[in-house]
Amino acid sequence: MGGRQAARQVLVEAGQDCLVGRFDAMASPCEILIESGDRETAERLTRIAAAEAWRIEDKFSRYRAGNVVDRINASDGEAIEVDDETAALLDFADTLYSLSNGRFDITSGALRGVWTFDGGDRLPDPQAVQAILRRVGWDKVSWQRPVFALQPGMQIDLGGIGKEYAVDRVTVTLREAATCSALVNFGGDLAVTRAPRERRAWRVGIEPVSAADKRRNEAVLEIATGALATSGDSRRFLLKDGVRYSHILDPRSGWPVEGAPRSVTVAADTCTQAGMLSTLAMLEGYNAEAFLDGEGVKNWCRR
Amino acid sequence: MGVEPWERDILAKEEMQLTTDPVEAAIDDHIYFSKEASSGGRGFGGGGCGCN
Amino acid sequence: MTDNKKSVSATLAAATCSLLGSAPTAPVQAQEEPSWDFNTALLYYGEDNDRVQDLSLNMLGKRYFLDDRALTLGLTVDTLTGATPNGAIRQDVPQTFTRPSGSSAYTIPANELPLDDTFKDTRVALTAAWEQPLGRLWKTSVGFSGSFEYDYTHLGLNGSLSRDFNQRNTTVSAGLAIARDEWDPVGGTPIPFSPMLDVGDIGNKTGTETKDVVDAVLGVTQVISRNLLVQLNYSFSNSSGYLTDPYKILSLVDGATGDTITRVPAPGAEGPSHEFRFESRPDDRTKHSLYTQAKYYMGGKVLDASYRYMTDDWEIDSHTLDLRLRWPIGERSFLEPHVRFYTQSEADFYTISLVDGATLPTFASADYRLGNFDAITAGLKYGWTTRGGNEMSVRAELYRQTGSIPGGLLIGNQVGRETYPDLDAIILQFSYRFSR
Repeated sequence: MGGRQAARQVLVEAGQDCLVGRFDAMASPCEILIESGDRETAERLTRIAAAEAWRIEDKFSRYRAGNVVDRINASDGEAIEVDDETAALLDFADTLYSLSNGRFDITSGALRGVWTFDGGDRLPDPQAVQAILRRVGWDKVSWQRPVFALQPGMQIDLGGIGKEYAVDRVTVTLREAATCSALVNFGGDLAVTRAPRERRAWRVGIEPVSAADKRRNEAVLEIATGALATSGDSRRFLLKDGVRYSHILDPRSGWPVEGAPRSVTVAADTCTQAGMLSTLAMLEGYNAEAFLDGEGVKNWCRR
Repeated sequence: MGVEPWERDILAKEEMQLTTDPVEAAIDDHIYFSKEASSGGRGFGGGGCGCN
Repeated sequence: MTDNKKSVSATLAAATCSLLGSAPTAPVQAQEEPSWDFNTALLYYGEDNDRVQDLSLNMLGKRYFLDDRALTLGLTVDTLTGATPNGAIRQDVPQTFTRPSGSSAYTIPANELPLDDTFKDTRVALTAAWEQPLGRLWKTSVGFSGSFEYDYTHLGLNGSLSRDFNQRNTTVSAGLAIARDEWDPVGGTPIPFSPMLDVGDIGNKTGTETKDVVDAVLGVTQVISRNLLVQLNYSFSNSSGYLTDPYKILSLVDGATGDTITRVPAPGAEGPSHEFRFESRPDDRTKHSLYTQAKYYMGGKVLDASYRYMTDDWEIDSHTLDLRLRWPIGERSFLEPHVRFYTQSEADFYTISLVDGATLPTFASADYRLGNFDAITAGLKYGWTTRGGNEMSVRAELYRQTGSIPGGLLIGNQVGRETYPDLDAIILQFSYRFSR
């Protein structure tokens, strides 16, 4: 989430039979598709959405000096008392850690130091990976709501949950703010506030991963209610000796998950659920499709 | 005998389907039905025309 | 992943509820946008020596609905021109025949294979099929087929059922098709073995005739390995009703010389120069076939090999071996050489001519397509994906039939003069697959 503070501007323009509000947040282009011809309404809703997105970004980005995440990461072992919203996210991270048997771990950000997924073939030294693993592991954390303590040298990163959480928070806010349907889309993670009235559904595209995908009708989805989220590695990977290393790292080994699909798109009731299911599926590696099908979850996987 | 669900990547490819091009298969079935005494095999027997 | 059987998504839903402080207001409704997949092909088929030429446009459109249900619609329009052997043998004098319509006659030069070029026919064929899953492991489909030409109508229904076993590695399927076809030959249906009459004389022609066909297929598809898939099908087919070709004849010959008996048309009329008899086939035919196919992936290349054995109660046996190798070129195109070998043995009532004065056989036909012949097809297909993500391909194939006439069938002067009418044909196809 977040990078250098991008210019915080909001723009409303005409879309296909709708108005589109645009702004940047959490390192993604964000758009709010609004089923209304009234510019004033569209501008008001876009400002509300942007305000909530920036609030979440400022509060939980690991790049913002002084916010709760930064204070935790600089705590050097000290216990930090957190507010209700942060506590809710930490509880959620804890549930996900158990649910994924340790594969989803918000303390695994440190591994970023040794892996550079630039499409090249430089794999890290296994000993360097082992060294970093000593500073990774939710099981090493002390979490007694509302007090949180990290071991010295460990870090947390809410990037894996943050964007989807923001989409859902913005969706709830917009649902209360207007009666028209809006589609909240933060770089491919999206949700609908309520079913549209003037069309059957909102049309969204899955970014095609290959030329064959472009021809198949799977590239365009329509959504009337609920949310979609995509996990993918079409750009971030390493390729050495014919083996493709996806950027999804297994925090238990420090190495990429084997056999992950190139992209997983999931449909669920909320963006948080969709995002977590697609991440859990990627972490399943070869078993991704079987896992999602077994859960009865609508999904589109590309290999 | 067989493979696990996650080993179906190659089998899912279009070029690995038993009939990759149904139109071409129907065209060939019709040509050979008209010129030979046999028909079908893969599915239903072709035919349905006055050419044999 | 989860060692306990409690659903991940249920736990996740509860956790999300706690996180967001509220439950979602409506269950998700999302699906792939429905669209049509079109598969179109333009075909040219042309035989040498002024024989049959066919130009056709073939279109198939498939639309997917929720949950793997699909509708497929097909349309084929083809026009046929050119000449086809009428079943009479060559003579070293010119021969005159009455056209099927009975309204004019045509003459074939000496020593040439008699060909009837009456046929300039346009055919329209329609198909419609609906397929859908029944539960998790079963699939079903129902379909309709219709074909319409000026002298022939076909109407058919088909249905199939399949079930997956063994983690979808094995699929067993069964299919049934029934059809009612109707002949309305130009000039009427000739009475079997009746003579070809003068122009204007339709005394031996009757009305329309029908044919009923029942086809059944039982098949097993099995995944052998990550790279290999095989299929085995048994098919049964029974046709009953009018199975004769109303336009085909046999020459009536002298028992010693083997030459066709000559004839003089009525005064002032045009008509056949020799004695010809309309053919007659049994009113029932049962076929059994065994078909097997394998698709084998070899690091990017795909081998498609199939073999079919067919046998029927007309004593025709055939073997077909078909091999294709799809060879990818780069990421967007491929080359596919193809070769097919076919051989068949003649029908038990297949003969070259009828002997004047001898007892008529129960059934007889000189149609070369019921004869003893081998055929080879060799071709090459080149396909590519366009920038828009659609697929185009072109293929060119040569089809060659070479046959032999069983020795015992040739009489007198026919030996050395009468040969199986070998066939050389070219097949050209351009195809385009796209979505809308």
